[in-house]
Amino acid sequence: MKKNSLTLFIIIVISLFGVSTIAMAEAPVLREQLVFSLTSFNGSGYSKSFCPATEETIYLIANESSIISPRKTIVYFWPITQKYMAGFSTLNEEVAGKLELIQNGKIIETLDKVSYSLYYPKGYYSEKAVVYTEASAIESFEKYQSAVEQFNAQLRQYYENMAQYRESFNRFLEEVRRRREAGDTGPINIPIPQEPKPPEFVQFYSTELAQGFVLQLPVGSYEIQLRAEDGTLVEGSEKKVIVFASRRQGGTGYEIIPGNRWTKKENCDEPSWIIHAIGKNELYFNPFLQDEYNELYHNKLVDPQNVGRLERWKWVHVDPIDNIKTILGFKQQILQSVDKQPYFVKQIPGAELGYEILNYSDELKQQGYQPTFESYKVILDPNLPKRDYSVSLVQSDNNQPVSKSERVIRLLKKDNAGYLYAIPFFPLIVALIVILSRRSHIEK
Amino acid sequence: MASQGRITKILLKRDLLYSLYSWGYYGVLFVSFFASSFILKNFLDGIREDDILVSAFPLNYPLYITIIIISLYLVLISAISISREREQGTLEVLFYGPVTSKNFLMAKFWKDFFLGVISLGFTAVYFFLVSFFTNLGFTPGLVRALIMGVFLISCVVSFGLFISSLTSRVRSSVITLIAVFGAFLAIQFSYSTLLGLEKESLPTSLFYVRETLQLVFKGINWVSPFAYLSRGLDSVILDNWSLFFTNVLYCIVYVVIFLSLSIFIMNRRGVKA
Repeated sequence: MKKNSLTLFIIIVISLFGVSTIAMAEAPVLREQLVFSLTSFNGSGYSKSFCPATEETIYLIANESSIISPRKTIVYFWPITQKYMAGFSTLNEEVAGKLELIQNGKIIETLDKVSYSLYYPKGYYSEKAVVYTEASAIESFEKYQSAVEQFNAQLRQYYENMAQYRESFNRFLEEVRRRREAGDTGPINIPIPQEPKPPEFVQFYSTELAQGFVLQLPVGSYEIQLRAEDGTLVEGSEKKVIVFASRRQGGTGYEIIPGNRWTKKENCDEPSWIIHAIGKNELYFNPFLQDEYNELYHNKLVDPQNVGRLERWKWVHVDPIDNIKTILGFKQQILQSVDKQPYFVKQIPGAELGYEILNYSDELKQQGYQPTFESYKVILDPNLPKRDYSVSLVQSDNNQPVSKSERVIRLLKKDNAGYLYAIPFFPLIVALIVILSRRSHIEK
Repeated sequence: MASQGRITKILLKRDLLYSLYSWGYYGVLFVSFFASSFILKNFLDGIREDDILVSAFPLNYPLYITIIIISLYLVLISAISISREREQGTLEVLFYGPVTSKNFLMAKFWKDFFLGVISLGFTAVYFFLVSFFTNLGFTPGLVRALIMGVFLISCVVSFGLFISSLTSRVRSSVITLIAVFGAFLAIQFSYSTLLGLEKESLPTSLFYVRETLQLVFKGINWVSPFAYLSRGLDSVILDNWSLFFTNVLYCIVYVVIFLSLSIFIMNRRGVKA
């Protein structure tokens, strides 16, 4: 038995390790493939992804416009991320045809491609976007183009004005020097040239016009397939479509920027999540309204190759909450009441490679800097006793608390970390007591 | 029936007290808590000034490690419990009396189960002290994980007894246990590796290996007690009550099946080494 199990074990281990090692040596293969390019509404804005042939299902949010576009492209497998990658820069060919939408085995709608554009009212880097189709898409893109052209004209004018300003400023300095050298010590009485202000860049953004099928469906399971102009089905174009909705809406979530790493934000979306800190913190809280989606569905919506769990739920930040105050408290006591303020992130020059977050001052404004972000700054003083605090929101106008906005901030007793190596000895102390008392009992 | 219960109780008391009066049990608790303390110390050191960590279950990972170590100990002592008595001949002596396979196995099961429950009691005290000294939260999630731990330990013990019923000697029990867990790990590793490779580029033979491994891996997820451990603690983190109770039910079914199998095998094999 012993020999048999040992031999069996060794054979299994060697063969399995060997098999997987041989397989790992395979080189990636490039393939031309029909994929669906996706511009899907993600609860807040739009996510761009693609659905390769290996994924059978496309996930969309109900009653919101999402765009799918069949393309021929080069696809290859990237073992590091274990995902298929698309080489759209090498091949990005539009596939002609009509999209058939099927439910319960019946074609319920046949869609034609339409032109569309994504309009970002607060600029390219904001998440919020609106889909415009046909005439309104053309209009929004033209509006953006004309705004950019206007900005370019203003910029050219600004450069000309700057050149004139430098010349007049040099003349001004020259005149001052000349008068001083001539012994004139009185007031100069020449107007100082005013530096021109640079034009503000266009505050909104619109993507170029593209072609795709716009889907806006109620919750349910569907199938899609692409029918070519000659009436045949395009091979590999059949996909399932799952359209889902949020489970809960209007929750309160936080994005927290720790003072030491503003690029790596933390989310605190569930009231049961605890913020652990040591107690010398500057924390920038950004509260959001949030909706809760199924994790698997939402992850697959963002990228059909993502993984997730059907039994897990996740919050998606939808809109920032405004007109509120952030309260740091201990039990019923208010320790800090904070309003939203603009902040500027300044890179620290030199070898230190870091940054500091400054209050956005008039001085910075005069220098032409824009605020990097706006937030509610909560300061945890190092002298605060190490216990549990709370952070919550109240309405600015009537001080009414915002529902489910309370989170616990737990200040850890880091100085006591040394005790952690002493605590494990307590079972040995119990053992000593038990065994010694047993011995004395036997001896008696 | 009453006398059968009494026999089980006598055997249980004998074995349980023997374990509780030995240093080994407390030594394992010390090792498991020390491992958790090591993780927690690094965790605390990792949160520097001006930094934060957002978590609902800061103590659940150390708890997972603690339960793993305690489970390894319990599976080992369960795996040798029958084979040791068989090897020493005490099993034969016991079976000349009114002892049956069923009450012998039930006594062994309850002994290891109570050892597990007592160790979970120690674990609760340990994490309470950790929470007291560091202010890391002793959360309701941790309590739920400890309750789930009771059922997970019963799975581990019944699996160990099953291995022990198959073998005649202590050495073969240990080797079989290592071989079984080694094979589980090897299959898991190989399956994960093959899963990370492009399906289309796999040679046909490897494709079939992968498909076979997938089936075997699914099977292991129902056989290995440590898979139940992961799933059970996962249901706590997911904060999903229906999943929690489903896992409890799975654990009870698992215990019933493995104990029944152990009794059946013990009846077939007899008491001699």
